[in-house]
Amino acid sequence: MLITHRDFLFKMAATLCGTLLLRQGWLPVTHCVRHGSKAVTRHRKPMHFLKQKLLAVTEYIPPKPPVSKHRVLQAKQNPEDSGLVVLLRREVRTVFQECKMIAVVHNSATNSEDMLLLRHRLYKHGIAVRFFPNQVMRAFLVDSQYSNLAPLIIGPTVLIVSKEPKVKEMLQALKAVPQMLLIGACIENTLLSVQGVFDYSKLPSLATVQGEVVGGLSLQTSQISSNLQHHPTHLTMLLQQYLTQKGEQGAPGGSEQKAEEMTSV
Amino acid sequence: MFSLLKASFCGVASRTIGSAGLFQDHLKVLSAGLKTYRLPPDYSDVMLPERQKLKFMNKVPDLKKVRKEMKNLRDIQGPARNGTAFTTGQYAIVALGGGYLHWGHLEMMRLTINRRMDPSTTFAHWCISAPYKPITRRGLGKRMGGGKGAIDQYVTPVRYGRLILEVGGRCELGEVESFMSEVAKKLPFPAKVVSRESLAAMQQEEAEREKNNQNPWTFKRVVTSNMLGIRKVLSAFDLHNHGRFSGKFHNPGRV
Repeated sequence: MLITHRDFLFKMAATLCGTLLLRQGWLPVTHCVRHGSKAVTRHRKPMHFLKQKLLAVTEYIPPKPPVSKHRVLQAKQNPEDSGLVVLLRREVRTVFQECKMIAVVHNSATNSEDMLLLRHRLYKHGIAVRFFPNQVMRAFLVDSQYSNLAPLIIGPTVLIVSKEPKVKEMLQALKAVPQMLLIGACIENTLLSVQGVFDYSKLPSLATVQGEVVGGLSLQTSQISSNLQHHPTHLTMLLQQYLTQKGEQGAPGGSEQKAEEMTSV
Repeated sequence: MFSLLKASFCGVASRTIGSAGLFQDHLKVLSAGLKTYRLPPDYSDVMLPERQKLKFMNKVPDLKKVRKEMKNLRDIQGPARNGTAFTTGQYAIVALGGGYLHWGHLEMMRLTINRRMDPSTTFAHWCISAPYKPITRRGLGKRMGGGKGAIDQYVTPVRYGRLILEVGGRCELGEVESFMSEVAKKLPFPAKVVSRESLAAMQQEEAEREKNNQNPWTFKRVVTSNMLGIRKVLSAFDLHNHGRFSGKFHNPGRV
């Protein structure tokens, strides 16, 4: 009796709750969705869009067939000759012909402001910063005499070029911009490493070196000429001294020895 | 008669080959007009069974208690689990999709093949069992309700890759392909004629494709690691078959 009474109370509570909640706009947490058996096998079931995407992504990709050498050569000989590429190639050629200093610099995300400052600083000394596509650069370098420069052209690279080899100024300007990393340079048709560039910058200017060389050479020649000039007088003096010494001693075989010395000299 | 002719041909062929070898050793032969025939295949190990023709299959299984079954559509989905390899024959019809064969299909195959094949040199036998799955239908003009309908027919479920029948004996593919492909066209699923070699090549090609796939994103990888919660839209069927099947249909070209 007691149990039934409690049951009844519970039921009451449940119904009350239910009615109250329903009035508040309560929705059941779980829906009963009937997935009936799909008896139709005549056609394909419509696929979920995500599954379609998955199937499209995971399609079979065959391995690439081994490419014959003939084809590779053909591909190399016939690149897309767009007008821009031709123009860039021509520009690269002129840069390499005209400029004595060509430095390859790795550009690790320099912002435009820093780049502008750097360009300005370099421009004061007549040094230019040039950007060329790597493909164009490599295509030019492979055939040219600068082919050893080709391995440097990887990633974001920038060329710093000038008609005069102003290495010291360039290095000073680059010191202020740590994002620009010098990789190598070709200065006066000589490929230089970074250390080589530093050493080059420490060298005195060409004029002083030439002056030193000229001075050294002129010193030598003057010495030789002076030697040549005062040689006969010096010799005669020596001989005279010798003769005087011999005369003092009065030795009979001295004249023969003198004659022998004369011949040897 | 045909076999006799064939035997004589074989003999001639072998003699010409032998003589050619002899002649080539000793003296130069004018080779114009001489033809080296291909060696005929060796059928010495082929044993014809006692009954070469396809056996008649019962339309209705011999059951003590007839029971209606549910439509268990799983039995045509996915790849076949058995009966995918050759037993004694050389050539076979292989199913390239799932489907139900009923007695009419079996009779069509049996009559066509038994009529067209040469029982003295070739034999054929079934690789599938007689119809055993009951299909119920409601009678025409009946109102809805009143329980499950009566059994209408019995069918044989066939999955992808299952061999339907085999043909073998002292015959080549060219001799039997015509009527086998004619039969294969009429089946309720895509099917084709294969020989032992071509079936092995097919299976090997499939294995190689799976091995040499250059796509790092395979269905298996994405599904097993449940990338982006994709399992939500996939079924257990996809987990096993990796998108190679959609229901009874085979998606060719997928790995």
